[in-house]
Amino acid sequence: MSRRIRFSSYPQTSMLLLPLYALFCWLMVQITWQYIPWNTDVAFLRIKQEYISMAHYRWAFLLHVYSSILVLPAGFTQFSDRLRLRWPSVHRQMGWVYAIISIFLAGPSGFVIGWYANGGWSSQLAFCLLAVLWILFGCLAILRAKQGAYEAHKRWMYRSFALALSAITLRAWKYLIVAIWEPRPMDVYQIVAWLGWVLNLLIAEWLILRWKNKNTLKTLPS
Amino acid sequence: MIRSLFCMLLLAFAVFGCGESVPGSKPETPPADTTSNTVSPPAEEETPVQKPEYTTADLIGYYVGEFKATKYDESKNYVYYNKINISIDSIIGDSLMGHSVVAGNDRPFQGSIRKQGEVYQGEGREPGDDRYDGVFRFTVDPSLSKMTGQWVAYNNKLPVSERGYELEKRSFRYDPNLRLSMDVGWAELYERNPKIMDQGEFVTEDVLKFNPSTELLKKEDVENLYKGDIEVIRNSIYARHGYSFKNRKMRFVFDKYVEWYIPVSTDIRDQLTDVERKNIALLKRYEEHAERYYDVFGR
Repeated sequence: MSRRIRFSSYPQTSMLLLPLYALFCWLMVQITWQYIPWNTDVAFLRIKQEYISMAHYRWAFLLHVYSSILVLPAGFTQFSDRLRLRWPSVHRQMGWVYAIISIFLAGPSGFVIGWYANGGWSSQLAFCLLAVLWILFGCLAILRAKQGAYEAHKRWMYRSFALALSAITLRAWKYLIVAIWEPRPMDVYQIVAWLGWVLNLLIAEWLILRWKNKNTLKTLPS
Repeated sequence: MIRSLFCMLLLAFAVFGCGESVPGSKPETPPADTTSNTVSPPAEEETPVQKPEYTTADLIGYYVGEFKATKYDESKNYVYYNKINISIDSIIGDSLMGHSVVAGNDRPFQGSIRKQGEVYQGEGREPGDDRYDGVFRFTVDPSLSKMTGQWVAYNNKLPVSERGYELEKRSFRYDPNLRLSMDVGWAELYERNPKIMDQGEFVTEDVLKFNPSTELLKKEDVENLYKGDIEVIRNSIYARHGYSFKNRKMRFVFDKYVEWYIPVSTDIRDQLTDVERKNIALLKRYEEHAERYYDVFGR
Protein backbone atom coordinates (compact mmCIF):
# COMPACT_ATOMS: atom_id res chain seq x y z
CA MET A 1 0.00 0.00 0.00
CA SER A 2 1.45 3.27 -0.97
CA ARG A 3 0.72 6.21 1.15
CA ARG A 4 -0.44 9.48 -0.09
CA ILE A 5 0.01 12.57 1.83
CA ARG A 6 -2.50 15.31 2.07
CA PHE A 7 -0.99 18.63 2.81
CA SER A 8 -2.83 21.55 4.11
CA SER A 9 -4.03 23.33 1.07
CA TYR A 10 -5.16 26.86 0.99
CA PRO A 11 -7.29 27.43 -2.07
CA GLN A 12 -7.58 31.14 -1.36
CA THR A 13 -3.87 31.58 -1.19
CA SER A 14 -3.25 29.64 -4.34
CA MET A 15 -5.92 31.66 -6.13
CA LEU A 16 -3.76 34.66 -5.39
CA LEU A 17 -0.36 33.10 -5.75
CA LEU A 18 -0.85 31.20 -8.96
CA PRO A 19 -1.58 34.22 -11.17
CA LEU A 20 1.33 36.01 -9.56
CA TYR A 21 3.54 33.03 -10.20
CA ALA A 22 2.30 32.86 -13.78
CA LEU A 23 3.19 36.51 -14.25
CA PHE A 24 6.72 35.99 -13.00
CA CYS A 25 7.12 32.87 -15.12
CA TRP A 26 6.13 34.95 -18.10
CA LEU A 27 8.76 37.53 -17.21
CA MET A 28 11.32 34.74 -16.96
CA VAL A 29 10.29 33.48 -20.38
CA GLN A 30 10.88 36.96 -21.74
CA ILE A 31 14.33 37.06 -20.20
CA THR A 32 15.13 33.68 -21.75
CA TRP A 33 13.72 34.89 -25.04
CA GLN A 34 16.54 37.44 -25.32
CA TYR A 35 18.92 34.55 -25.91
CA ILE A 36 16.90 33.11 -28.77
CA PRO A 37 18.47 32.80 -31.24
CA TRP A 38 21.66 32.15 -29.33
CA ASN A 39 23.63 35.38 -29.06
CA THR A 40 26.54 36.08 -26.76
CA ASP A 41 26.41 39.85 -27.04
CA VAL A 42 23.06 40.49 -25.47
CA ALA A 43 21.58 41.29 -22.09
CA PHE A 44 23.51 39.84 -19.13
CA LEU A 45 26.21 38.47 -21.41
CA ARG A 46 27.14 41.97 -22.55
CA ILE A 47 28.91 42.45 -19.27
CA LYS A 48 30.41 38.94 -19.22
CA GLN A 49 32.50 39.34 -22.34
CA GLU A 50 35.77 38.34 -20.72
CA TYR A 51 34.31 34.94 -19.80
CA ILE A 52 32.28 34.28 -22.89
CA SER A 53 35.45 33.38 -24.78
CA MET A 54 35.84 30.37 -22.48
CA ALA A 55 34.04 27.36 -23.91
CA HIS A 56 32.97 25.94 -20.54
CA TYR A 57 31.43 29.22 -19.48
CA ARG A 58 29.65 29.60 -22.78
CA TRP A 59 28.24 26.08 -22.60
CA ALA A 60 27.26 26.40 -18.98
CA PHE A 61 25.44 29.63 -19.67
CA LEU A 62 23.65 28.24 -22.70
CA LEU A 63 22.65 25.12 -20.80
CA HIS A 64 21.50 27.11 -17.79
CA VAL A 65 19.39 29.58 -19.75
CA TYR A 66 17.62 27.01 -21.86
CA SER A 67 17.15 24.29 -19.24
CA SER A 68 16.26 26.22 -16.11
CA ILE A 69 13.21 27.81 -17.68
CA LEU A 70 11.72 24.28 -17.82
CA VAL A 71 11.93 24.00 -14.06
CA LEU A 72 9.31 26.66 -13.49
CA PRO A 73 6.21 24.72 -14.70
CA ALA A 74 6.72 22.40 -11.75
CA GLY A 75 5.36 25.18 -9.57
CA PHE A 76 1.98 24.82 -11.25
CA THR A 77 1.65 21.09 -10.82
CA GLN A 78 3.74 19.57 -8.06
CA PHE A 79 2.18 21.28 -5.10
CA SER A 80 -1.40 20.54 -5.98
CA ASP A 81 -2.93 17.78 -3.88
CA ARG A 82 -5.75 17.31 -6.28
CA LEU A 83 -3.50 16.85 -9.27
CA ARG A 84 -1.25 14.46 -7.42
CA LEU A 85 -4.14 12.37 -6.15
CA ARG A 86 -6.07 12.30 -9.36
CA TRP A 87 -3.20 11.96 -11.81
CA PRO A 88 -0.25 10.59 -9.93
CA SER A 89 1.56 9.83 -13.17
CA VAL A 90 1.54 13.51 -14.12
CA HIS A 91 3.04 14.32 -10.75
CA ARG A 92 5.70 11.67 -11.24
CA GLN A 93 6.61 12.70 -14.78
CA MET A 94 6.74 16.39 -14.01
CA GLY A 95 8.80 15.51 -10.97
CA TRP A 96 11.33 13.66 -13.06
CA VAL A 97 11.61 16.54 -15.49
CA TYR A 98 12.19 18.91 -12.59
CA ALA A 99 14.68 16.60 -10.87
CA ILE A 100 16.75 15.73 -13.89
CA ILE A 101 16.98 19.35 -15.01
CA SER A 102 17.87 20.67 -11.58
CA ILE A 103 20.30 17.89 -10.66
CA PHE A 104 22.03 17.33 -13.98
CA LEU A 105 21.55 20.46 -16.10
CA ALA A 106 20.54 23.73 -14.49
CA GLY A 107 22.22 23.00 -11.14
CA PRO A 108 25.73 22.12 -12.33
CA SER A 109 25.68 24.82 -15.02
CA GLY A 110 24.55 27.28 -12.37
CA PHE A 111 27.58 26.32 -10.32
CA VAL A 112 29.92 27.07 -13.23
CA ILE A 113 28.30 30.44 -13.87
CA GLY A 114 28.32 31.19 -10.16
CA TRP A 115 32.04 30.52 -10.07
CA TYR A 116 32.50 33.53 -12.35
CA ALA A 117 29.71 35.63 -10.83
CA ASN A 118 29.80 39.41 -10.82
CA GLY A 119 30.33 41.14 -7.53
CA GLY A 120 33.38 39.38 -6.11
CA TRP A 121 33.82 36.43 -3.75
CA SER A 122 30.65 37.12 -1.78
CA SER A 123 28.28 36.68 -4.67
CA GLN A 124 30.42 33.89 -6.14
CA LEU A 125 30.07 31.99 -2.88
CA ALA A 126 26.35 32.72 -2.74
CA PHE A 127 25.66 31.37 -6.20
CA CYS A 128 27.93 28.32 -5.88
CA LEU A 129 26.39 27.42 -2.54
CA LEU A 130 22.95 27.86 -4.03
CA ALA A 131 23.82 25.45 -6.84
CA VAL A 132 25.29 22.85 -4.50
CA LEU A 133 22.31 22.94 -2.14
CA TRP A 134 19.88 22.80 -5.04
CA ILE A 135 21.50 19.67 -6.41
CA LEU A 136 21.73 18.15 -2.95
CA PHE A 137 18.10 18.83 -2.00
CA GLY A 138 16.93 17.48 -5.35
CA CYS A 139 18.92 14.26 -4.86
CA LEU A 140 17.61 13.78 -1.34
CA ALA A 141 14.04 14.39 -2.42
CA ILE A 142 14.26 11.76 -5.16
CA LEU A 143 15.97 9.33 -2.83
CA ARG A 144 13.25 9.70 -0.19
CA ALA A 145 10.49 9.28 -2.78
CA LYS A 146 12.13 6.08 -4.00
CA GLN A 147 12.28 4.88 -0.41
CA GLY A 148 8.60 5.69 0.01
CA ALA A 149 9.34 8.31 2.63
CA TYR A 150 6.93 10.79 1.15
CA GLU A 151 6.88 13.21 4.03
CA ALA A 152 10.62 13.57 3.80
CA HIS A 153 10.30 13.71 0.02
CA LYS A 154 7.93 16.57 0.35
CA ARG A 155 10.15 18.43 2.79
CA TRP A 156 13.18 18.20 0.51
CA MET A 157 11.14 19.20 -2.48
CA TYR A 158 9.91 22.28 -0.69
CA ARG A 159 13.50 23.20 0.03
CA SER A 160 14.59 22.44 -3.49
CA PHE A 161 11.81 24.46 -5.03
CA ALA A 162 12.45 27.33 -2.66
CA LEU A 163 15.92 27.50 -4.17
CA ALA A 164 14.57 27.19 -7.70
CA LEU A 165 12.32 30.14 -6.97
CA SER A 166 15.39 32.27 -6.35
CA ALA A 167 15.41 32.83 -10.11
CA ILE A 168 12.34 34.94 -9.55
CA THR A 169 12.94 36.31 -6.07
CA LEU A 170 16.49 37.42 -6.82
CA ARG A 171 15.26 39.53 -9.68
CA ALA A 172 12.23 40.77 -7.80
CA TRP A 173 14.39 41.87 -4.86
CA LYS A 174 16.72 43.61 -7.23
CA TYR A 175 13.84 45.50 -8.79
CA LEU A 176 12.47 46.48 -5.41
CA ILE A 177 15.77 47.52 -3.89
CA VAL A 178 16.68 49.63 -6.91
CA ALA A 179 13.26 51.25 -6.96
CA ILE A 180 13.55 52.22 -3.31
CA TRP A 181 17.21 52.91 -2.60
CA GLU A 182 18.89 53.19 -5.98
CA PRO A 183 22.15 51.65 -4.82
CA ARG A 184 25.14 51.11 -7.07
CA PRO A 185 24.62 48.18 -9.44
CA MET A 186 27.12 45.74 -7.94
CA ASP A 187 26.06 46.57 -4.39
CA VAL A 188 22.55 45.45 -5.29
CA TYR A 189 23.94 42.37 -6.91
CA GLN A 190 25.88 41.30 -3.84
CA ILE A 191 22.81 41.77 -1.68
CA VAL A 192 20.39 39.84 -3.88
CA ALA A 193 22.89 37.05 -4.49
CA TRP A 194 22.20 36.05 -0.86
CA LEU A 195 18.79 37.54 -0.22
CA GLY A 196 17.43 35.85 -3.35
CA TRP A 197 17.60 32.34 -1.94
CA VAL A 198 18.35 32.43 1.80
CA LEU A 199 15.04 34.05 2.57
CA ASN A 200 13.22 31.51 0.40
CA LEU A 201 14.85 28.68 2.27
CA LEU A 202 13.87 30.20 5.61
CA ILE A 203 10.28 30.50 4.44
CA ALA A 204 10.33 26.85 3.32
CA GLU A 205 11.65 25.80 6.72
CA TRP A 206 8.98 27.85 8.41
CA LEU A 207 6.27 26.19 6.32
CA ILE A 208 7.65 22.77 7.17
CA LEU A 209 7.78 23.58 10.86
CA ARG A 210 4.27 24.89 10.77
CA TRP A 211 2.85 21.63 9.42
CA LYS A 212 4.59 19.70 12.08
CA ASN A 213 3.38 21.92 14.86
CA LYS A 214 -0.16 22.12 13.65
CA ASN A 215 -0.28 18.49 12.77
CA THR A 216 -1.79 19.38 9.50
CA LEU A 217 0.24 16.70 7.89
CA LYS A 218 -2.09 13.80 7.42
CA THR A 219 -1.53 10.55 5.75
CA LEU A 220 -4.33 9.01 3.87
CA PRO A 221 -4.72 5.53 2.56
CA SER A 222 -4.35 5.44 -1.14
CA MET B 1 17.97 57.08 -10.69
CA ILE B 2 14.62 58.33 -11.67
CA ARG B 3 14.02 61.38 -9.64
CA SER B 4 11.18 62.84 -11.45
CA LEU B 5 10.28 65.20 -8.69
CA PHE B 6 13.68 66.72 -8.62
CA CYS B 7 13.61 67.07 -12.30
CA MET B 8 10.32 68.78 -12.33
CA LEU B 9 11.69 71.24 -9.87
CA LEU B 10 14.70 71.72 -12.00
CA LEU B 11 12.53 72.32 -14.96
CA ALA B 12 10.36 74.69 -13.08
CA PHE B 13 13.34 76.78 -12.24
CA ALA B 14 14.40 76.55 -15.81
CA VAL B 15 17.90 77.15 -14.75
CA PHE B 16 18.98 75.63 -17.93
CA GLY B 17 17.25 76.59 -21.01
CA CYS B 18 17.14 74.49 -23.97
CA GLY B 19 17.38 75.40 -27.55
CA GLU B 20 20.42 75.50 -29.55
CA SER B 21 21.47 78.76 -30.90
CA VAL B 22 24.49 79.10 -32.92
CA PRO B 23 26.29 82.16 -33.99
CA GLY B 24 27.46 82.94 -37.41
CA SER B 25 28.53 85.78 -39.55
CA LYS B 26 29.12 87.08 -42.99
CA PRO B 27 31.74 89.29 -44.38
CA GLU B 28 31.12 92.91 -44.03
CA THR B 29 33.53 95.73 -44.39
CA PRO B 30 33.13 98.69 -42.15
CA PRO B 31 35.53 101.61 -42.60
CA ALA B 32 39.06 100.48 -42.14
CA ASP B 33 41.15 101.94 -39.44
CA THR B 34 44.78 102.73 -39.56
CA THR B 35 45.83 99.65 -37.75
CA SER B 36 48.26 97.27 -39.26
CA ASN B 37 46.41 94.81 -41.37
CA THR B 38 48.23 91.58 -41.57
CA VAL B 39 47.47 87.96 -41.89
CA SER B 40 48.12 86.85 -38.42
CA PRO B 41 49.17 83.31 -37.71
CA PRO B 42 47.13 81.62 -35.02
CA ALA B 43 48.93 82.97 -32.03
CA GLU B 44 46.95 81.63 -29.15
CA GLU B 45 49.28 82.72 -26.42
CA GLU B 46 48.42 85.77 -24.49
CA THR B 47 51.02 88.42 -24.96
CA PRO B 48 51.79 90.44 -21.90
CA VAL B 49 53.15 93.70 -23.14
CA GLN B 50 54.65 96.48 -21.11
CA LYS B 51 53.71 99.21 -23.44
CA PRO B 52 50.28 98.48 -24.82
CA GLU B 53 51.00 98.60 -28.51
CA TYR B 54 48.67 95.98 -29.92
CA THR B 55 48.21 94.93 -33.48
CA THR B 56 45.43 92.90 -35.02
CA ALA B 57 47.74 89.90 -34.74
CA ASP B 58 47.20 90.03 -31.00
CA LEU B 59 43.50 89.46 -31.52
CA ILE B 60 43.83 86.09 -33.17
CA GLY B 61 42.76 83.22 -30.98
CA TYR B 62 39.95 81.58 -29.02
CA TYR B 63 37.58 83.60 -26.90
CA VAL B 64 35.75 81.36 -24.50
CA GLY B 65 32.96 81.82 -22.04
CA GLU B 66 29.26 82.00 -21.36
CA PHE B 67 26.89 82.52 -24.25
CA LYS B 68 23.82 83.77 -22.44
CA ALA B 69 20.34 84.25 -23.76
CA THR B 70 19.27 87.88 -23.65
CA LYS B 71 16.16 87.63 -25.81
CA TYR B 72 14.22 84.42 -25.74
CA ASP B 73 10.79 82.97 -26.10
CA GLU B 74 9.77 81.63 -22.72
CA SER B 75 7.14 79.41 -24.24
CA LYS B 76 9.81 77.46 -26.07
CA ASN B 77 12.33 74.94 -24.95
CA TYR B 78 15.39 77.11 -24.91
CA VAL B 79 18.86 76.83 -23.46
CA TYR B 80 19.72 79.81 -21.35
CA TYR B 81 23.43 79.22 -21.20
CA ASN B 82 26.03 77.49 -23.35
CA LYS B 83 29.78 77.66 -23.39
CA ILE B 84 30.95 79.27 -26.61
CA ASN B 85 34.29 79.50 -28.29
CA ILE B 86 34.50 82.41 -30.72
CA SER B 87 37.65 82.06 -32.71
CA ILE B 88 39.21 84.93 -34.62
CA ASP B 89 41.09 83.04 -37.30
CA SER B 90 42.54 85.81 -39.42
CA ILE B 91 42.42 89.53 -40.00
CA ILE B 92 43.48 90.91 -43.36
CA GLY B 93 43.24 94.62 -43.59
CA ASP B 94 40.00 95.27 -41.84
CA SER B 95 38.37 92.08 -42.97
CA LEU B 96 37.80 89.46 -40.38
CA MET B 97 37.44 85.68 -40.63
CA GLY B 98 36.57 83.36 -37.84
CA HIS B 99 34.30 80.67 -36.56
CA SER B 100 32.39 79.83 -33.47
CA VAL B 101 31.89 76.52 -31.73
CA VAL B 102 28.96 76.07 -29.41
CA ALA B 103 26.48 73.33 -28.58
CA GLY B 104 27.85 70.95 -31.18
CA ASN B 105 27.73 73.55 -33.91
CA ASP B 106 30.79 74.81 -35.71
CA ARG B 107 29.93 77.83 -37.87
CA PRO B 108 32.20 80.16 -39.83
CA PHE B 109 31.77 83.91 -39.89
CA GLN B 110 33.20 86.74 -41.93
CA GLY B 111 33.11 90.42 -41.39
CA SER B 112 35.15 93.41 -40.47
CA ILE B 113 37.11 94.74 -37.58
CA ARG B 114 38.51 98.16 -36.82
CA LYS B 115 40.28 99.95 -34.07
CA GLN B 116 38.40 102.43 -31.96
CA GLY B 117 40.61 103.99 -29.39
CA GLU B 118 42.16 101.24 -27.31
CA VAL B 119 39.76 98.53 -28.42
CA TYR B 120 38.66 96.81 -31.58
CA GLN B 121 35.09 96.72 -32.85
CA GLY B 122 34.18 93.71 -34.91
CA GLU B 123 31.26 92.28 -36.76
CA GLY B 124 31.06 88.75 -38.07
CA ARG B 125 28.22 87.34 -40.08
CA GLU B 126 27.42 83.66 -40.34
CA PRO B 127 26.59 82.31 -43.83
CA GLY B 128 22.87 82.13 -43.19
CA ASP B 129 22.29 78.63 -44.53
CA ASP B 130 21.79 77.21 -41.06
CA ARG B 131 18.62 78.04 -39.19
CA TYR B 132 20.66 79.10 -36.18
CA ASP B 133 22.87 81.54 -38.08
CA GLY B 134 23.13 85.16 -37.11
CA VAL B 135 25.52 88.02 -36.66
CA PHE B 136 28.12 88.65 -33.96
CA ARG B 137 28.98 92.16 -32.92
CA PHE B 138 31.72 92.51 -30.41
CA THR B 139 34.43 94.56 -28.84
CA VAL B 140 37.87 93.08 -28.21
CA ASP B 141 40.12 94.64 -25.65
CA PRO B 142 43.60 93.22 -26.28
CA SER B 143 44.99 94.65 -23.07
CA LEU B 144 42.49 92.59 -21.08
CA SER B 145 42.35 89.67 -23.53
CA LYS B 146 38.57 90.00 -23.43
CA MET B 147 35.78 89.98 -25.96
CA THR B 148 32.30 91.26 -25.16
CA GLY B 149 29.33 91.52 -27.44
CA GLN B 150 26.01 90.26 -28.70
CA TRP B 151 24.82 87.79 -31.23
CA VAL B 152 21.56 88.35 -33.08
CA ALA B 153 19.89 85.55 -35.00
CA TYR B 154 18.73 86.20 -38.54
CA ASN B 155 15.57 84.39 -37.62
CA ASN B 156 13.87 86.18 -34.75
CA LYS B 157 11.43 83.30 -34.29
CA LEU B 158 14.09 81.12 -32.71
CA PRO B 159 13.66 80.13 -29.07
CA VAL B 160 16.65 82.35 -28.38
CA SER B 161 17.12 85.16 -30.87
CA GLU B 162 19.76 87.16 -29.03
CA ARG B 163 22.64 86.23 -26.81
CA GLY B 164 25.27 88.17 -24.96
CA TYR B 165 28.79 87.17 -24.09
CA GLU B 166 31.82 88.27 -22.17
CA LEU B 167 34.65 86.00 -23.19
CA GLU B 168 38.19 85.42 -22.16
CA LYS B 169 41.01 84.75 -24.58
CA ARG B 170 42.26 81.24 -23.99
CA SER B 171 44.47 78.76 -25.69
CA PHE B 172 43.56 75.14 -26.23
CA ARG B 173 45.85 72.18 -26.03
CA TYR B 174 44.88 68.54 -25.54
CA ASP B 175 46.01 67.53 -22.08
CA PRO B 176 45.17 63.96 -21.05
CA ASN B 177 45.93 64.75 -17.41
CA LEU B 178 43.08 67.17 -16.90
CA ARG B 179 40.77 65.88 -14.19
CA LEU B 180 37.19 66.63 -13.41
CA SER B 181 36.82 68.74 -10.31
CA MET B 182 34.62 68.32 -7.27
CA ASP B 183 32.23 70.80 -8.86
CA VAL B 184 31.01 68.11 -11.21
CA GLY B 185 29.71 66.25 -8.18
CA TRP B 186 27.08 68.97 -7.95
CA ALA B 187 25.91 68.57 -11.47
CA GLU B 188 22.52 67.24 -12.37
CA LEU B 189 21.94 65.34 -15.52
CA TYR B 190 18.91 66.42 -17.35
CA GLU B 191 17.43 64.44 -20.13
CA ARG B 192 15.76 66.20 -22.99
CA ASN B 193 13.26 63.59 -24.02
CA PRO B 194 12.67 61.68 -20.88
CA LYS B 195 10.78 58.48 -21.03
CA ILE B 196 8.82 59.29 -17.96
CA MET B 197 7.88 62.92 -17.77
CA ASP B 198 11.30 63.93 -16.54
CA GLN B 199 14.22 61.84 -15.70
CA GLY B 200 16.92 63.33 -13.63
CA GLU B 201 20.15 61.79 -12.67
CA PHE B 202 22.76 63.03 -10.34
CA VAL B 203 26.45 62.80 -10.74
CA THR B 204 28.35 61.46 -7.77
CA GLU B 205 31.96 61.87 -6.71
CA ASP B 206 32.65 58.54 -8.42
CA VAL B 207 33.35 60.55 -11.56
CA LEU B 208 36.54 61.78 -9.93
CA LYS B 209 37.91 58.28 -9.36
CA PHE B 210 39.27 57.60 -12.81
CA ASN B 211 40.88 59.45 -15.65
CA PRO B 212 39.95 57.41 -18.72
CA SER B 213 42.39 59.42 -20.85
CA THR B 214 45.43 58.16 -18.95
CA GLU B 215 44.55 54.87 -17.26
CA LEU B 216 43.18 51.75 -18.87
CA LEU B 217 40.01 50.91 -16.99
CA LYS B 218 39.09 47.42 -15.89
CA LYS B 219 35.68 45.88 -15.61
CA GLU B 220 35.96 46.06 -11.82
CA ASP B 221 36.46 49.82 -12.02
CA VAL B 222 33.29 50.33 -13.97
CA GLU B 223 30.78 47.68 -12.95
CA ASN B 224 29.67 49.34 -9.74
CA LEU B 225 29.22 52.83 -11.14
CA TYR B 226 25.94 54.58 -11.74
CA LYS B 227 24.99 55.07 -15.32
CA GLY B 228 25.15 58.86 -15.09
CA ASP B 229 28.66 58.70 -13.67
CA ILE B 230 29.81 56.34 -16.40
CA GLU B 231 28.41 58.70 -18.97
CA VAL B 232 30.27 61.67 -17.52
CA ILE B 233 33.52 59.70 -17.21
CA ARG B 234 33.24 58.56 -20.82
CA ASN B 235 32.42 62.02 -22.10
CA SER B 236 35.30 63.55 -20.17
CA ILE B 237 37.48 61.89 -22.81
CA TYR B 238 35.74 63.84 -25.54
CA ALA B 239 35.83 67.01 -23.46
CA ARG B 240 39.62 66.84 -23.12
CA HIS B 241 39.86 66.81 -26.90
CA GLY B 242 37.65 69.87 -27.08
CA TYR B 243 34.61 68.12 -28.45
CA SER B 244 31.58 70.38 -28.59
CA PHE B 245 28.65 68.43 -27.19
CA LYS B 246 25.41 68.39 -29.07
CA ASN B 247 23.98 66.26 -26.30
CA ARG B 248 22.32 68.71 -23.97
CA LYS B 249 22.76 66.57 -20.92
CA MET B 250 26.53 66.46 -21.27
CA ARG B 251 26.65 70.14 -22.16
CA PHE B 252 25.08 71.03 -18.86
CA VAL B 253 27.85 69.20 -17.08
CA PHE B 254 30.87 70.26 -19.09
CA ASP B 255 29.80 73.77 -20.08
CA LYS B 256 28.92 74.70 -16.57
CA TYR B 257 31.10 72.72 -14.23
CA VAL B 258 34.35 72.02 -16.04
CA GLU B 259 36.53 75.08 -16.06
CA TRP B 260 39.20 73.72 -18.41
CA TYR B 261 36.73 72.58 -21.01
CA ILE B 262 36.86 74.51 -24.28
CA PRO B 263 34.67 73.47 -27.21
CA VAL B 264 36.87 73.53 -30.29
CA SER B 265 35.56 70.88 -32.64
CA THR B 266 32.51 68.85 -33.52
CA ASP B 267 34.41 65.74 -34.51
CA ILE B 268 37.42 64.51 -32.60
CA ARG B 269 37.12 60.79 -33.31
CA ASP B 270 40.43 60.52 -35.13
CA GLN B 271 42.27 62.15 -32.23
CA LEU B 272 41.41 59.54 -29.63
CA THR B 273 44.30 57.60 -28.17
CA ASP B 274 44.35 53.83 -27.91
CA VAL B 275 43.67 53.87 -24.18
CA GLU B 276 40.76 56.24 -24.72
CA ARG B 277 39.26 54.08 -27.44
CA LYS B 278 39.40 50.98 -25.26
CA ASN B 279 37.94 52.81 -22.29
CA ILE B 280 35.14 54.26 -24.39
CA ALA B 281 34.19 50.76 -25.56
CA LEU B 282 34.17 49.40 -22.01
CA LEU B 283 32.33 52.37 -20.52
CA LYS B 284 29.77 52.38 -23.30
CA ARG B 285 29.08 48.70 -22.70
CA TYR B 286 28.32 49.22 -19.03
CA GLU B 287 26.45 52.43 -19.72
CA GLU B 288 24.12 50.69 -22.13
CA HIS B 289 23.71 47.77 -19.78
CA ALA B 290 22.79 50.07 -16.92
CA GLU B 291 20.44 52.04 -19.10
CA ARG B 292 18.64 48.92 -20.20
CA TYR B 293 18.77 46.71 -17.11
CA TYR B 294 19.54 48.66 -13.95
CA ASP B 295 15.98 49.20 -12.83
CA VAL B 296 14.13 46.32 -14.48
CA PHE B 297 13.18 42.83 -13.37
CA GLY B 298 16.28 40.88 -14.27
CA ARG B 299 19.93 40.80 -13.36
